[in-house]
Amino acid sequence: MNISVNGVAYETESSPLTPLLDVLREELGITSPKAGCHQGGCGACTVLVDGEARRSCILPAAYADGAEITTVEGLGAPEQLSTVQQAFVHHYAAQCGFCTSGMLLAAQAYLNHGGTDDPSGIQEALGGHVCRCTGYLKIVDAVAAAARGELFDLTTTAVGKYTTLTGGGVE
Amino acid sequence: MKVVGARIPRYDGVAHVTGRTTYVDDVRVPGTLWAKALRSPHHHAGIKSIDTRPAEEMEGVRAVVTHEDVPLNVYGHLSALGIPADEPLLAEGDVRYLGQPIALVAADDEDLAAEAVSRIEIEFEERPALLDVRKAFDADAPVIHQWGNWYPHFEAEMDRRQIRKGDVAAAFEQADVIVQGAYRPAAIEHAPIETQVCQVVPEPSGRLTIYSCTQALYFSMGVVAAHLQCSLNKLKFVGGTTGGGFGGKVDTATETMCCLLALRSGRPVKWRWTREEEFLCSSTRAPWHMEVADAVTSDGWILGRKMLTLHDAGAYARFSPYGLTKHSFHHTGAYSIPNLEFDGYVVFTNRSPTSAMRGFGVTSVSFATETQVSRIADVLGLDPIEIRLKNANRIGDTSPNGVVYTDPSTVSTLQALAESTGVELSAEYRTMTSEPRTGEWLPEHLVPQLGNPEEH
Amino acid sequence: MAKHRGRGIAAIEYPTGMNQNGDPSQAWIKVKPDGRVDVFSGTADIGNGSKTIQTQIVAETIGVPYDWVTYDNSNTDSSPMCTGTFASRATFVAGKAVFKAAEQVKQRILEIAGKELEIGVDDLEIVDGEVVAKGAPQTTMSVADVAGAATFVHGELITGTGAQLKPYAAIEDPATGTVDSPPHSAISYATCAAEVEVDDETGEVRVLGLRQCYDVGRALNPTQVEGQIEGGAIMGLGLGVLEDCYPYYPEVDHRGASFGSYLAPAMEDLPQIETILIENPSADGPFGAKGIGEMANNPQPPAIAAAVHDAVGVWITELPITPERVLRALEDKREPRREGKKVVFDEALSVNSVSSGGMRFEVPA
Repeated sequence: MNISVNGVAYETESSPLTPLLDVLREELGITSPKAGCHQGGCGACTVLVDGEARRSCILPAAYADGAEITTVEGLGAPEQLSTVQQAFVHHYAAQCGFCTSGMLLAAQAYLNHGGTDDPSGIQEALGGHVCRCTGYLKIVDAVAAAARGELFDLTTTAVGKYTTLTGGGVE
Repeated sequence: MKVVGARIPRYDGVAHVTGRTTYVDDVRVPGTLWAKALRSPHHHAGIKSIDTRPAEEMEGVRAVVTHEDVPLNVYGHLSALGIPADEPLLAEGDVRYLGQPIALVAADDEDLAAEAVSRIEIEFEERPALLDVRKAFDADAPVIHQWGNWYPHFEAEMDRRQIRKGDVAAAFEQADVIVQGAYRPAAIEHAPIETQVCQVVPEPSGRLTIYSCTQALYFSMGVVAAHLQCSLNKLKFVGGTTGGGFGGKVDTATETMCCLLALRSGRPVKWRWTREEEFLCSSTRAPWHMEVADAVTSDGWILGRKMLTLHDAGAYARFSPYGLTKHSFHHTGAYSIPNLEFDGYVVFTNRSPTSAMRGFGVTSVSFATETQVSRIADVLGLDPIEIRLKNANRIGDTSPNGVVYTDPSTVSTLQALAESTGVELSAEYRTMTSEPRTGEWLPEHLVPQLGNPEEH
Repeated sequence: MAKHRGRGIAAIEYPTGMNQNGDPSQAWIKVKPDGRVDVFSGTADIGNGSKTIQTQIVAETIGVPYDWVTYDNSNTDSSPMCTGTFASRATFVAGKAVFKAAEQVKQRILEIAGKELEIGVDDLEIVDGEVVAKGAPQTTMSVADVAGAATFVHGELITGTGAQLKPYAAIEDPATGTVDSPPHSAISYATCAAEVEVDDETGEVRVLGLRQCYDVGRALNPTQVEGQIEGGAIMGLGLGVLEDCYPYYPEVDHRGASFGSYLAPAMEDLPQIETILIENPSADGPFGAKGIGEMANNPQPPAIAAAVHDAVGVWITELPITPERVLRALEDKREPRREGKKVVFDEALSVNSVSSGGMRFEVPA
C-alpha cells in the first residue's frame, strides 16, 4: 500500500487487514502512536487520516491506502512546537506521556474543525481518550488555551487558576 | 529560592509532546521474538500433566519454558521484610487463580506464539475455589494455600496483625453510644495506559539487558537475580520511563520470564501484555472487608475503637502483609483514639493476587474511618467538621502503634476546608491549633495516650 | 423522580516512605569540565515527575541554573540503587539522596573556588552558576571556571554521592503493634469536601465538585503537585463510584476486559475541582517536602459516601457506589439496628451473617 506519513511517502508490505497502528509502529518504525489497548477503547493510537482523527489500532491499513497520515511528529518538532503542543507543555497536560500523542492529535483535529475553548466542547471531542495520570483538567485547560490562540511561555507552567497556596510558598 | 518552588516545566515535557519519549514498547532490536503465556483457565485446579512438546515442535517457536526452567521458582519478593516465599514464578503442580501463568512461549511473531500456546497439552483437575474472605475461616472452607487460608507469619508467628492500646472494654462501657458498621471497598485496576511490557536482549558478554517498565529498577533487578540465581552485574535494567504505574508495575511480572526465554533461545524476546491480560490477569488493588465499632460520648469524643479487617490477598501473599501492617498503623486516621483493639488478617482467595496500588493499605482504612466518623456525626446530630476537629491529632498525641505526632495537620486542613466552603465554625473550633491539648480539650480519657514529642 | 444534592467531607493522613522504612535511595553527581552537572539516580519516573523534581533539587542546592543539569535514571549500570517509585517516596526519600549528593558537589565547588579566589569557603556562595563572595559581589568565579580549574589545574573530578536511608522500624511488641521508631519519614494530611447529585430514579451518582486541601510540606513544583492532586481526585472518584474489577464480588464473573466494560473515569466524569495547598514543612525532607502522590486518591470515596447520604439518606459502604446499590438502598430503606446504646449498621455485610462461625466480630457491651 501507499501511505504518506507527515509528508513522507511509504510503500508498505503489511497485509491490508493489518491495523494501521502496527504498520506504523512495527513496519515503519514510527512509534509515537501508542498501543494502549488494541481495542479502540483508549485513544492512545489516534492519528489523523486525511485530517480526521482515527483510532489506528482498529483501522485496517487498507483504509489508509493513498491517505495522508499525521502523527504527533507532524505537528511540530522540539525547535518549533505547534500551538497545541506548546499548550500541553505550558499547562502540564502530560504526566507519564503515554496518552499524549493520541490526545494531541484529537485536540488538533478538534481545533482544525473550529473547536472553541468551551470546556464541554473539548470534553465531547476528546471524551473517548483515557488518561489515568492527569485527571483531565489540565488537558482541557491546554486545549482551551490553544483554541483561544494564546502564546505560551515555555520556561514556566501555568498556575492552576483554582489553586490557593497558603503558608510558605515560593520565596 | 529560584528553582525549588518554581513552576518548572516537565523535564521530559517537550519529548512527550513530540513523540520522542521512549517507552519499552518503542525499543527496536532486530531479531526480537514475541512471547505469549499459557494461563490458567481455572480459579483453582491441580495440574495433572503438561506436555509442551507440541508447541516446541512448531516451526518458528524458539523457546518454551515452564517452572522446571526456573533456577529458583519460588522467591518471596519481600523476603527482606521477613515475608516468606509462597508464590511460584510459573505454576508448579497447581493453579490458584484465573490467568495464573503456567508456561511461556517465544516465537517469531505474536500470532505464532499464541498458536503455540494453544497447542500445549495440559490436564487439570478442578478444585473448589474460595472467593469470600468472610468464609475463609469456616471449618467447611476449602483450603487453598499451603499455609492455610490466611497468612500465619507475622512477627512471633502470629496469624494476624494486632494493635492493642489502652482499655477497649472500659471505653465501650463508658460510651454513651456505640456506632458499628462494615466497609467494603472494591478491587480496582491500576489500568495504566501502557500495559506491562518487557524486552530482554542477551548480550555477547553473557549479560542480559532488560528493558523494563518497572517502577523500581533495582527492586525488580533483585527479584530477577534471585529467580535466576545470578549476581546483579549479570543484569542491566534499562528503563526509568514508565507509562503509568500506580503500584501495578512493581510486581516484576514479566522480566524473569523474558530472561528465561532469551537465555533459552539466544534471541531478544519481548512480552507485551494485551489490554485483556492487563484487565483480567494483572494484580489489582485489594478488596477489603472492614468492620468498625466506635465507642463515643454524646458530645462526640471517640473513646475507643474495635476493628476487624479481612484483607483479600488473592491467591498469594505478595505484598499483602506489608499493606495490612501499614493499614493497621493508620486505622485511626487523622484522629487520636486512645483505646484500640485492631485485628487484621491477610486472607487468601482464588483470584488474581492483590498488590500495591496508590495508597496501599491506607486507602481502605481511610474509607472505613471517615465514613464511620460521618455516620457518628449523623447519629449524634453533631457537625461533621467539628467532630473531626474535636478528635483531631494534636502534637503529643500517639498513633495506634505508639508513634508521637510531632506536627499533625488535621486541624489546619479542616479549618482551611471549612473556610473555603463557607462553613462557619464556632469560635473555639475556628481558633483551634495543633498544639498539645490542655484544659477542657484534654479530657481524662485522652491523658494516658499522650507521648512526649521531644523524644521523637 | 428527582435529583438530590448532598455534601460530605473527609479528613485523612498518609505516611511518606516505605512502611517501617529500610528503603534506601542513592544518587551520584559529576560535574563536567564546563561546570554542567550530571545527576545519576535510580528513581523511575512513572509520570509523577520525579525527573523534574530531582533536577530542581540539584540545581537549587548547588546554585546553578536548572538547564545546566542533566538527569539520567535510565539504567542500573550507571545509576545507583533506589528502592522504587511508590510509598510517596520519590520526592522525600529519593529527593533527599540527590540533595545530599548536590550538597557535596556544592561544597567541593566552594572549596576549589576558595583556593582560587583565596577566600574562605564560609564567605562564598553560589548563585546562578557563579561563585560569589558574600558582601563583595564583584568578586566572582563562574562555576564553569571552577570546573575547568578542577579538571586542568587540580587534577580532580568534582563529584558528590548521597544515600538516604531511615533505619528499619521494627515492631517491638507484636501483641500491641508498637514500633521502636517512627515507621515513616513524614505524614501528610488532606481534607476533601464532595458535592454530589443523586438521581433517585436511575440511582446515578454524579460528583459535581471536589474541594480539597492538602498539606504537602513544601510544593517543590506547585504545578506538579496540582497534577498529582487532580489525577488522584479522578482516580478516587473512580474508586468511589465507577470502578470494580469484580462487579459481582466476591464472585469473579464478568470481570471487565476492556475500557468499555471496566469503567475508568473519562472526561465526562470531571467534577469542578478546587485545591488549596498548605505548606507546613516537614522536619527533614528536602526543602521541607512531604509526599503527595499516593494519598491523592484517598479522601474522595468517603467524602462521596457521606455526600450520597446527605443527598438521599442512605449509607452505602460498599464501593463503588453504583446506581444499582443506590436504588437497592433506597428501596430497602434499611435502618440500623438499635439495641441499648448500640447503633448497628450493615449487618447483612458482616462476617457474623456470612460465615458459619469461623470468624466473628464481637463488640463489647
